[in-house]
Amino acid sequence: MIQFDQVTKRYPGSDEVLRNVSLHINSGEFVFVTGHSGAGKSTLLKLIAATERPTSGTVLIANQNVSQLKASAIPFLRRRFGLIFQDHKLLYDRNCFENVILPLHINGTSGIEAAKRVRAALDKVGLLHKEKAMPITLSGGEQQRLAIARAVVSRPSILIADEPTGNLDASYAADIMAIFYAFNQVGVTVIMATHDALGISAKQSRVLHLSQGLLNEHLLHPTELEDNQASLENASVENSYDE
Amino acid sequence: MNNWLNHHTQALKQVLSRMRRHAWSTFMICLVIGVSLCLPSLFYLGVDNLSKLAEHMQSDTEISLFLKHDADATTIQKIEQQLASNNAILHHHLVTKEEAWQQLKKNSASNQDLSETVQALKNNPLPDAFFIQAKSAAPDELETLKNSLQNIPGVEHALLNTEWVKRLATLLNLGEQFIFFIALLLAVVLLVIIGNTIRMQILTQKDEIEVSYLIGATNSFIRTPFLYAGVLYGLLGGLLAIAMMMLIMMTFNYSIADLSQLYSSDFSLRLLNSELFITMIGTAVSIGWIGAYLAVSKAIASFKLM
Repeated sequence: MIQFDQVTKRYPGSDEVLRNVSLHINSGEFVFVTGHSGAGKSTLLKLIAATERPTSGTVLIANQNVSQLKASAIPFLRRRFGLIFQDHKLLYDRNCFENVILPLHINGTSGIEAAKRVRAALDKVGLLHKEKAMPITLSGGEQQRLAIARAVVSRPSILIADEPTGNLDASYAADIMAIFYAFNQVGVTVIMATHDALGISAKQSRVLHLSQGLLNEHLLHPTELEDNQASLENASVENSYDE
Repeated sequence: MNNWLNHHTQALKQVLSRMRRHAWSTFMICLVIGVSLCLPSLFYLGVDNLSKLAEHMQSDTEISLFLKHDADATTIQKIEQQLASNNAILHHHLVTKEEAWQQLKKNSASNQDLSETVQALKNNPLPDAFFIQAKSAAPDELETLKNSLQNIPGVEHALLNTEWVKRLATLLNLGEQFIFFIALLLAVVLLVIIGNTIRMQILTQKDEIEVSYLIGATNSFIRTPFLYAGVLYGLLGGLLAIAMMMLIMMTFNYSIADLSQLYSSDFSLRLLNSELFITMIGTAVSIGWIGAYLAVSKAIASFKLM
């Protein structure tokens, strides 16, 4: 479904952020991307979400080569993803309902069908009772859940989350992780960047670890966490939480 | 098709609700557009009405054909035949020197000085004269007709008292050119105003545009609401300009009615110039669209993600 082949990314005036990264993500997987801040996690996610082009190498998404795609086709590729940003990127000039309906406006869904879907998405993240509230009045955890509702409202097959729990305390973070696991359960591919290993514990998880632009891949079992501490470097495994 | 319609109705709804939320600033922008449209249009209406007034007066113009003093009856008859056969002449009539003399005496009776002077003249100094009404009122044609009449043997002098009409026509012509440039300059101003307004709106909606791009918005999705905004500004500004002009013209028409009465003329300003109004609205709407398009295209280029 997502395939990177010898992908290098360099921003103008900087070193290579990613070097010769090759990877393959199948449909229905739950993949973590770990690494220091600045290791290239966000860049990797942007390349997957087709919001950046690789400097060299090929990025295939659903068998489409992003580099060779026409500019006019890119938006339609992006609609396959649900994007969740570390800073939420919510729109503070409109209420929760209007925030969540934005992707539906973009893909042309409107009317009763759109309202139904928005309420379903808000319900999934437990914010149905706040649809008229302005995002600024929500707590950090609620804002992140609202961002998730916006990402899933158009029923994307891939969710891409960039440090969704980064600014949240543990109990909120656990809420968020539970939501992601629930989506994964119904077949949604989830790709999540995180700088700590929080939540990489419940089940066997695939971890893509980035260090100075290079990619290491692990398959992480809950029992293996201790053994992998060395290769996970900064992964704060001590807060691996038991169910 | 349905999708396309959806996209447009949504964009329009979005723009209208935004305008309602910022009703005051929307009104201000429309006012600026309206005033900018009003200026050249008022000038135009002024010149247009003056030209009509000039035409009105030209229809009164006639060519006076004074004959030589020694012109006898046969010469007069010959000239009359020539005038009758001339296609450019609507009608003509002869005033003989005796008739003119009697008339002068009669008219000067009330004025003592003039009357004394006339009495002092022993011989009739007046010539026979034809007064000719031409079919055309155009200054050029009148001029050629006058020259051809001047060349008829037995004619002492052909007088066309339309020199001032010609001058007025030239002046009006100059005025039209002036209006053209004023309109051109104000069109540029409008383009800048609308473009800048749209640019500011884009800046305030920067976050929305950025997020929309990230989650798969096309350029046209981003662009359409702003194009609608530009067109609506133009439309509302144009309507406002027309309202202002109607008001101004109405007050003018009262004074002109008084003036016309003094000149015993039924002249009044043309209040409903639908062509002008359609042109105004059309211009404003197109300028709105172009200004918005330029601003959005520039902004889109800077928002480009890849």
